[in-house]
Amino acid sequence: MAAMRYSGILCAALLCGCVGRESSVGSTGGTLAIASGGDPDALVPSLLQTTTAAEIVDMLYDRLADIGDSLNVVGDHGFTPRLADRWMWAKDSMSIAFHINPNAKWHDGQRVGSNDVRFTIASTKDSTLGSPTASVIENIDSVSTPDSATAVFWFHARSPQQFYDAVYQNPIIPEHVWKGIGPAGWRGSEAAKHPIGSGQYRFVRWIPRAVVELTADTANYRGRPNINRLIWSIAPDFNTAVTRFLSGETDFFEQLRLENLPEVAKHPELKTKPYRALSYQFLQFNLRDPANHDRPHPILGNRELRRALTMATDRIALIRSVFDSLALPALGPTVRAYPTTDPNLAQIPFELARARQLLDSLGWRVSTSDSMRTHNGRPLRFSISVPSSSKVRVQMAVVLQEQLRRAGVKVDVEQLEFPALIAKGKSRAFDALIGQLNTQPSPSSVRGSWGTHASRSASGNNFGSYESPVFDAYVDSALASFDMAKRKDYFTRAYETIIQDAPAIWLAEPRPTVGYHSRLELTTLRSDAWWAHIPQWSIPRDKWIARDSLPAVAPGAQPAAPKTP
Amino acid sequence: MIRYIARRLLQAAVIVAIVAAITFVLIHIAPGDPFSAVLDNPNVSERVRETLRSQYGLDRPLPEQFVRYVGALARGELGWSFSHDRPVREVLGSALPNTLLLMGVALIASFALGILVALVQVARRGSIIDHVLSGISLLFFSMPDFWLAILALLALTYWLPIFPVGGAVDPVMHEYLGLGGRIADRLRHLALPALTLTLLASASVARYQRAALLDVLPADFIRTARLKGLTEREILRRHALRNALLPIITLIGLSFPALLTGAFFVERIFAWPGMGYAVINAISTRDYPLVVGGVIIGSIMVTLGSLLADLLYVWADPRLRSH
Repeated sequence: MAAMRYSGILCAALLCGCVGRESSVGSTGGTLAIASGGDPDALVPSLLQTTTAAEIVDMLYDRLADIGDSLNVVGDHGFTPRLADRWMWAKDSMSIAFHINPNAKWHDGQRVGSNDVRFTIASTKDSTLGSPTASVIENIDSVSTPDSATAVFWFHARSPQQFYDAVYQNPIIPEHVWKGIGPAGWRGSEAAKHPIGSGQYRFVRWIPRAVVELTADTANYRGRPNINRLIWSIAPDFNTAVTRFLSGETDFFEQLRLENLPEVAKHPELKTKPYRALSYQFLQFNLRDPANHDRPHPILGNRELRRALTMATDRIALIRSVFDSLALPALGPTVRAYPTTDPNLAQIPFELARARQLLDSLGWRVSTSDSMRTHNGRPLRFSISVPSSSKVRVQMAVVLQEQLRRAGVKVDVEQLEFPALIAKGKSRAFDALIGQLNTQPSPSSVRGSWGTHASRSASGNNFGSYESPVFDAYVDSALASFDMAKRKDYFTRAYETIIQDAPAIWLAEPRPTVGYHSRLELTTLRSDAWWAHIPQWSIPRDKWIARDSLPAVAPGAQPAAPKTP
Repeated sequence: MIRYIARRLLQAAVIVAIVAAITFVLIHIAPGDPFSAVLDNPNVSERVRETLRSQYGLDRPLPEQFVRYVGALARGELGWSFSHDRPVREVLGSALPNTLLLMGVALIASFALGILVALVQVARRGSIIDHVLSGISLLFFSMPDFWLAILALLALTYWLPIFPVGGAVDPVMHEYLGLGGRIADRLRHLALPALTLTLLASASVARYQRAALLDVLPADFIRTARLKGLTEREILRRHALRNALLPIITLIGLSFPALLTGAFFVERIFAWPGMGYAVINAISTRDYPLVVGGVIIGSIMVTLGSLLADLLYVWADPRLRSH
């Protein structure tokens, strides 16, 4: 406990001396056109949900501190200063005082102050705003402002993640822009359409369903970013978006599919780069009877049967078939990028013969007529629901259907629209579904997806109703632990418990692959946000193409106006 | 005539109201939620869910939501788009001109092309050209619109990069172009979606027009024209075509719904920021007010198109004016 406190103070002391304008690596100028699959839903940090919105918001707004590439969430190790140039932990660790960088300014010229920090947290916690972030920062009690440059976060309880909670979820917004607008009106306000932030890029224009444009904030307190203009070129149809990239209309495409790679290889000016993401895919079983939730599922409620289904699934072959090299077998309800994940977690192995034996021993015998298993006249048959919009998940369902057929299990694949799939999951009216979870740097979201509370809450996201006090206890212990080794050990036990209970078959951990024009010089693609280091990307002047030499702002288009709404 | 138009407008209003009511009920009872993306987030608490539902009035019983919607409609409001966070009127107001432009260009081009193809076929009826053009017409007639759009996108933007890949303008360069450049940029972006719709619609026009011309050619007045020594081209152009245009006017009325439906898919594939693009996205995100608003505007366009075709028919056929 004390060690962590001191390390925080030491870190703050070290940081005091090193904070300054970030040096620009590489040449400045140029235009980065990003092919995007959808419109941003809101350019307000506390309201956004879509990845496109997060990409843009992270360029426009700053946090007090930013998480490091290692994604450590315990204490403040690895976090780098942003709006806060230093911070100090209280002796009892119940509060953290952040000192605001005196050079930090909003894009309209006003200074960033501690009042903005207090306002950001208070508004996010305001239930009338309806911010999805509110529940994540429940441990923050309030923010006080002893002076205009100091914001003190007060917490309800000491927790290993309290620094992460304070900074990661909360890009700071300007109080003078938002305070006059009622929370219910934020989404539709002019301020949301013309955002004013303090990030290294400032807003220029947003034409819904067409384009979002940002320009470099050349006077930014962190230094100017390398690339002058960022443009999100929006096309909701995947083929259109990827064709824009292949034809050179855009420079960057965030998630190429397997079938796109040969096309990209035909273009010497295009490159690809895989990175580790925070998502995993799984076949989730419904452990309760869809017709009567008080009863176990007549087939999938049996733990041994689920284990047999897992044994009958050749995940390596499935991944080779659907992803080739663009995914690894999922380890469990976690991802390899977490420092707390043991990459050698024990798995239920693929053993078709053993799966058959196990099913035989459970009374599910192969009938001679159609090679499918039955038990007391009931066929071993269930349906897998998948979103029709996800080609990958549809392919996985088909491969699973074939693999389980070899064990005598009849599987029906049901393709549904995404909202219909979610509705089915929420009402627990399914047998099995292929889901994907996009997690955050903190492994704590595992509680909301696989914990008992999320199973019993009517609107919980544990659709399969897996409930294990042992798993819950290990997760709680892990999340309460300040010691990284212990934390990892508890998480390992939690994951091993759930893997052996087999409420799901952990299918794949995708390795997203970005495509980019070779004139771009990229830096690290961070697991939680590939875009995090865009301000450090560059385009060498000798490689410029026509759009790189355009002026920073188009005639007629103005970046965020100096006046406030 | 005025009474006829008034009666047709009244009928159109009833049709639009029924279509809107059915759409309202269907989209609301469809499984799913406008906030699926939000509600799928394990971090979203029950309180936030309730707040969002309450903010948008979704916590009310469906009949009450319907009455509220009708009340708003009576005041000329189409509601608030959940996915755009703007009034539906604004969303559709910015999309409608793009759809009308695309449909207008496609309508004119498809009829011009279809009639031209039919004239060539009839002028050389029974020849190889006639058979080839018939085959091509049949091919486009039977081709799904989204498939042709994807094929055109691949062929003419990627394999043979003649046209830009979707959108109404070049998102990077447009703002930096002069007036002439901007117009040229718009036309370049319009060309491919308009071409796709034109090819699809012209196929049926050509087939109808060819049949209509062949019906007219054995008529007495054509024989008289031949006896007067007119060339075959003059006969076709001056006498046969005029009389064979009447069924085509009917086809204009029928083309409106087909073009609008086609535009929905074509707009999505070419990222053309029109009504179809907006409404298809709204269906998948369960943006109820935008879906119903889009359907209302679409049905108004279709009924007015049908009325316009009927009026054109009356204008073109003197026999109908007396009725």
